[in-house]
Amino acid sequence: MKKVKSLYPALMVVIMYVAIMVLKEVRILNGYYIQVLMFAGINVMMTASLNLVNGFTGQYCIGHAGFMSLGAYGAAVVTTLIFGGKSGVPLLLQTPVFLLGLFVGGCCAALVGALIGIPSLKLKGDYLAIVTLAFGEIVRALLRLIQPIGGARGMIGIPNYANIGWILFFVALTLYLLRNLIYSPFGRAFVAIRDNEIAADAMGINTTKYKIMSFCIAAFIAGVAGGLYAHVLSFIQPDSFSIAKSNDFLVYLYAGGAGSLTGSIVGAVLLTVIPEVLRFLADWRLAVYAVVLVIVMLYRSEGLCGGYELPFLKITRGSLYGIEEPKKKLSFKKKKDA
Amino acid sequence: MSLLEVKNLSIMFGGLCAVDDFNLNVEKGELIAVIGPNGAGKTTVFNMLTGIYRPTTGSIKMEGKDMIGLKPYEFAQNGITRTFQNIRLFSGASVADNVKMAATMHNKQNLMNCILRTKGMVQSERELDEKVMSLLERLGLADKADFLAKNLPYGDQRRLEIARALMTDPKVLLLDEPVAGMITTELEEMAQLVAQIRKDFDLSIIMIEHHMNFVMPIADRIKVLDFGKTIAEGTPAEVQANPRVIEAYLGGGYKNVDA
Repeated sequence: MKKVKSLYPALMVVIMYVAIMVLKEVRILNGYYIQVLMFAGINVMMTASLNLVNGFTGQYCIGHAGFMSLGAYGAAVVTTLIFGGKSGVPLLLQTPVFLLGLFVGGCCAALVGALIGIPSLKLKGDYLAIVTLAFGEIVRALLRLIQPIGGARGMIGIPNYANIGWILFFVALTLYLLRNLIYSPFGRAFVAIRDNEIAADAMGINTTKYKIMSFCIAAFIAGVAGGLYAHVLSFIQPDSFSIAKSNDFLVYLYAGGAGSLTGSIVGAVLLTVIPEVLRFLADWRLAVYAVVLVIVMLYRSEGLCGGYELPFLKITRGSLYGIEEPKKKLSFKKKKDA
Repeated sequence: MSLLEVKNLSIMFGGLCAVDDFNLNVEKGELIAVIGPNGAGKTTVFNMLTGIYRPTTGSIKMEGKDMIGLKPYEFAQNGITRTFQNIRLFSGASVADNVKMAATMHNKQNLMNCILRTKGMVQSERELDEKVMSLLERLGLADKADFLAKNLPYGDQRRLEIARALMTDPKVLLLDEPVAGMITTELEEMAQLVAQIRKDFDLSIIMIEHHMNFVMPIADRIKVLDFGKTIAEGTPAEVQANPRVIEAYLGGGYKNVDA
């Protein structure tokens, strides 16, 4: 019974995939809707990774789109320039090449994350915010200058390997691994740093090491998300990853609730879908979007799901003893015997 | 060789000499109290002993190892842990998690095991949880293990700070005003608790405290600071009789209190 229960989330993902496929077959969902859903998924990955740094480790990264662009370009270079796109590789090898591209994209982002994280995270305070703000713009400026990857014109002809199945898979994988990380000694160290850096230091936690670790993991996930983005859209340009994009992720994060993975899902999905649903309002769309945000912040300043976590996105103390809800320790043992 | 040897410790903040020539040898299992009026430099001494401030001159040796220049977390990893005068808990985390966070440096599971949540990792989590719960039980916090730290009453927060510090497996525990803001009955409970953990964990304790009724019965030795200088040192009885201490700190009316 316990084994079966732990498979529910995976089952949900499969059901979601099947549902989307069926809706697509009966023409309720057209290609455009599917693409919106794919972007929603990518935004969930971006927001969840940003959550690791801003929500769980208490640092402040405001140039997350920079990592996304590194991942997008890294992955696109591998699949398009090195392996020559769809025509360059046999059908059977397309998936491995795609995955390799995503991995390379993630690694590019993580490496650069380490490069800027190591000097700026040694300091206590908001230095990371300034550095990442500058970083996002520097990456964009540099990408515009590199001609082999298209410069300011952008890169075209990227094979559209990513479909809704892949996106669902990567979103689920990201959330699963992030959940495990957050409810592990590493995640506890992150939260300790967020809640009180001086005390964390005094309790033997190497704060610099854990901050850099959290930042690099987040950069890696952002890189993979960027890689997916490139392979959904088939076209990327440096200006798609501007400060405005970084701001979007911050809005998703804080509207959904920082420090809650559920919040990252809700924030990213709602705020990706709402502007699309509101398209009939034409120019009034952005005003309504802004009003929605203001209302959320007025009535739930901690975010829509701040402080709340779906059961399968958290690991309680009780689950260590095989039961769902945390009770007093003694009752664990009784239940275990019974 | 003493467990902790502190020699000629001084620190200057600009032109101000906050602590001047502080010497202290701590033997295993000893309980030393540091007293003195406000601004005497007691907490500054603690900040130097835990690596938050780097002393201008002097040496700190823990089990013979030179500690000057190490980071605060390295002090903790070498067995010197503290509690804070103004409580610094991980307020957004549960009581159990607060204590588990202090066990981070003992974690043997690598990142891969953790993100994949392997069997070995779950097993070590369970062992950690059992260890944490037995520690919380000793400190009377077991039934509040799943409360958020910030929702605990004040006295429990102080006890949680001690539980958290104990989880790092310290050899020397520094308590910065453990009974600040507590009422008389709580004072007695805390005195028992300090004596108990000192015995159970085979700890050396250095304690800053203002409540003389709390300090006198449990301390082996007392050091008295005033304006950064050590003005007296000795057993509680000796210190109480010292005219300089009476003048600087205790005041004339103190004689009546039984020690």
